Amino acid sequence: MVKAEDNKGTAEGNGNGVIVVKNLTKRFGNNIVLDNITLSIEKGKTTVVIGPSGCGKTVLIKNFIVLLRPNSGEIYFKDKRIDNLPDRELNKVRTHYGFLFQGGALFDSFNVAENIMFPITQHSRITDWRQAEDIVNAKLAMVGLDGFQNYYPAKLSGGQRKRVALARAIALNPEVILYDEPTTGLDPIRADIINELILKLQRELGVTTVVVTHDMTSAYKIADRIIMLHNGKIIADGDAEHIRNHPHPQVQQFINGQASEDDLAVLRASSDIAKAQFLPRDFEE
Amino acid sequence: MLETLGAKTIEDLADMGRFGRFAWRSIVASGWSIARVTTYPLIWAQMNIIGVHSVPVVMITGAFVGMILAVMAYDQLAGMGLEEHLGVLINVSVVKELGPVLTAVMLAGRVGGALTAELGTMNVTEQIDAVRSMGTDPVRYLAVPRLLACLLLTPILIIYADLLGVLGGYFIGVIQFGINNQAYWKFSAYGVDLWDVAVGVIKGFFFGTAIAIISCYKGFTCKEGAEGVGQACTEAFVASFISILALDFGLAVIFKAIYNTFWPLKSLVG
Repeated sequence: MVKAEDNKGTAEGNGNGVIVVKNLTKRFGNNIVLDNITLSIEKGKTTVVIGPSGCGKTVLIKNFIVLLRPNSGEIYFKDKRIDNLPDRELNKVRTHYGFLFQGGALFDSFNVAENIMFPITQHSRITDWRQAEDIVNAKLAMVGLDGFQNYYPAKLSGGQRKRVALARAIALNPEVILYDEPTTGLDPIRADIINELILKLQRELGVTTVVVTHDMTSAYKIADRIIMLHNGKIIADGDAEHIRNHPHPQVQQFINGQASEDDLAVLRASSDIAKAQFLPRDFEE
Repeated sequence: MLETLGAKTIEDLADMGRFGRFAWRSIVASGWSIARVTTYPLIWAQMNIIGVHSVPVVMITGAFVGMILAVMAYDQLAGMGLEEHLGVLINVSVVKELGPVLTAVMLAGRVGGALTAELGTMNVTEQIDAVRSMGTDPVRYLAVPRLLACLLLTPILIIYADLLGVLGGYFIGVIQFGINNQAYWKFSAYGVDLWDVAVGVIKGFFFGTAIAIISCYKGFTCKEGAEGVGQACTEAFVASFISILALDFGLAVIFKAIYNTFWPLKSLVG
């Protein structure tokens, strides 16, 4: 059972919500990925969305920026409904967001400086090339990669790629930064660098941060608030302490990294099948 | 089975609707982009990739078409003593039909395949979503420069193919088979109108547009993974190829009607 204090940041209950989602449902074919979600993302705080793979975390934050449009429900950014806006107006709203994609999504054909320059040349009124270059250098310095301007994405490590993508995401000084699995695929040290970077940007820029992850070390370190999704619904919502002590079995399984008995039973059954398939006689001439 | 057929039909119709919407958006955005000087560098870059790099392969295609036509037709015409008319046959075929169509097919493979693979890879690695997330319309930024480059350069590439087709036919007819040089060109000039050349070049605008829109659409909607990109490239080529043939037929009927309307007696007198 979800406790009464869960979902405390609902649209109705939180007047400080920079992103507010009401009754959001998203389907792909007959598969309901998000089921009637209502929540509010508080301004200036770090909200972490956790949940098992395929539970709809990425779909949720892509709905926040309307990269995916909901099948039903409403999405508000700073009290303005955005899910029904035409693309032209939506593009203006999106300049208030920064989005860090799971793989970085850097443009292969551009070098690091050109990647970060992209949103600046698209949207700012800067006409002085040197001024734009100064911004690029400053953003790269913020993520600790000054001097990498002329490198191409293929030459960077996974962690460096994410840091460049982060520099690009903050190029237009966004009010909200959305991170999709920022530490996935990185070793613990590189992952911690990214965590520190998220905290630093939140502290120095005062941005609202939403992080999607299944890395609990990262979640505990950076979160002001943790939301857990399961089967398209929010099953837990609160600070790190609240989540640690949450009674829901799915929450406990997830944060402790334990497979369920059902999952293990499937594995045991499949190992019996494997044994049956590789009887010694199969290898005889 | 009926249910599966119905579902497939609905999905195909929905896909056609999405394609129509994408094509319309691309064409409207192209109109806006022409008026904006800031998009010109993007168009130039694509013109270099799509146009300049295609010149050798298109010229080779054109030359072989002319040479093959000469080899195939010479014996029949020589049998009737009409070998000096070989130039008319080759040149009309090349400038009106084979030059434009084979150039377009070559571009559908070389350029269309590359466009679909590039945009498809960008799609599966979320680069197109990244463009969108930064408040830029990916159709305007990615599809429009490619569409305009194809639209503007396909007719020019067709002229290159025509030129080499004519020279290829001349090489085989006059140099190899020894047809009289003056007679060859006299009959060629007599039989090939500016209209014939114009028809072939105008077709290029339509073929270029079709190749670019189909290839970009397939790239933008490509399914995940290497298999998805490969499948999108195949579908883009097949759809482009069929569109080229269908457009060629449609345009041939339209141009014939126009010709007969404005010059009704010329075909009888000429």
